[in-house]
Amino acid sequence: MNTHLINRRQAIGGLGKVLGGMAAIIHFHPCPAIAENALAPGPKKSVSSNTPPSPAAAQSLPNYDPTAHDWTMAIDVEKCIGCGLCVEACKQENKVIRQPFYFRTWIERYVIRKPEAGSSEMRGETVVDSPNGGMDGFPPSAVPPSEILKAFFVPKLCNHCKDSPCIQSCPVGATFDTPDGVVLVDPKYCIGCGFCIQACPYGCRFLNPVTRTAEKCTLCYHRITRGLNPACVEVCPTSARFFGDLKDPVKAEPLRRFVSEHKVQVLKPHLGTHPKLLYAGLDKEVR
Amino acid sequence: MPPQINRLVVLTLAIVGAYFAARAVLRPKSFGEYGWYRGDSLRELTALTVTYAGKAACADCHGELVEKMSQSKHRSIACESCHGANGEHAESPAITPKKITPPQFCLRCHQANPARPEKFPQVDKAEHFGEDKCTDCHQPHSPTDAPKK
Repeated sequence: MNTHLINRRQAIGGLGKVLGGMAAIIHFHPCPAIAENALAPGPKKSVSSNTPPSPAAAQSLPNYDPTAHDWTMAIDVEKCIGCGLCVEACKQENKVIRQPFYFRTWIERYVIRKPEAGSSEMRGETVVDSPNGGMDGFPPSAVPPSEILKAFFVPKLCNHCKDSPCIQSCPVGATFDTPDGVVLVDPKYCIGCGFCIQACPYGCRFLNPVTRTAEKCTLCYHRITRGLNPACVEVCPTSARFFGDLKDPVKAEPLRRFVSEHKVQVLKPHLGTHPKLLYAGLDKEVR
Repeated sequence: MPPQINRLVVLTLAIVGAYFAARAVLRPKSFGEYGWYRGDSLRELTALTVTYAGKAACADCHGELVEKMSQSKHRSIACESCHGANGEHAESPAITPKKITPPQFCLRCHQANPARPEKFPQVDKAEHFGEDKCTDCHQPHSPTDAPKK
């Protein structure tokens, strides 16, 4: 016994016709407002407020064209003194959570021991540490000075790869590279799955415990779009960090000079990520 | 047309139509502006406030000091390296920057450490000056000059 007014077949057919009609209206109608109203009666914001361009956001890029720039950073390892000012500046500028383990940039100390007596090795064990990311400076190493073959600091940050594993692994397209060569995260799209954190071979990402979204170095995107240097570059007392715009002959000059004067390399080149972050003076132990 | 084909056509149209309808409603307006992401996310990231004003902003008022420093051994140091983030001070000079406390601060860079580059001037606090203040002998803005008395 059929107690329904229309049967299932009629219902599906009718639904299909309605949806098809709506799609046709939305897709081919020249006025999107009418299409939206046709689909969403009642308060419009319930469906169309997904990402309204806020007034502040609209004004913040007054004369900035992302396609007219190409930002690159280079680090001279031989100049880094491990003062930790860059780490401090990054935390303040980007309001990074002030606890260990959450760093957008940090400094590692590599201490290479002398080879054991009688050994045919060139060098001994390598000890790497980064107490609080180097933010409070470095206390004397656990290796006594008499046993140190050599030691040096290596500042680390996002490598802004051209072929980023993090972008490829993001299931929702929340991380992307911009036309000006910066790898960024859209916190409104990020679902906090952590795939990108596992994918990054340089350990440059972390999950913000408050927002539950992935976070990383943005090259201080809010600063560079205003013509300022990233905070870490600004405060580095020894100019160990170089920053420039490859599409601007004047701003690229320090970088070009750096590259011509040093033998530069990237981290983990065998992975094919093509990092944009260049290093000069790296030891083979640095990963 | 036979009814079963009709139904298939209607169903296909319904699915495709539902896709386009959902896409039109759910896709942000700025999506695809620069690539496969929201163009607005770039604008949102640029809307953050600047905490470090930058040396150029300091030079607007403290030009003389910035000029003096550019001649000194400390020329590569930005004002905010030592004085801290002063974006607020640059916006409204009434907000005074906080004081720096030598020698702890000087030693942040100049404490002897085997991992520091050999050419970089480093001291062992006890050997070098004992309990005196760094500024008794060195001027932070031009470290090689004699101190002001």
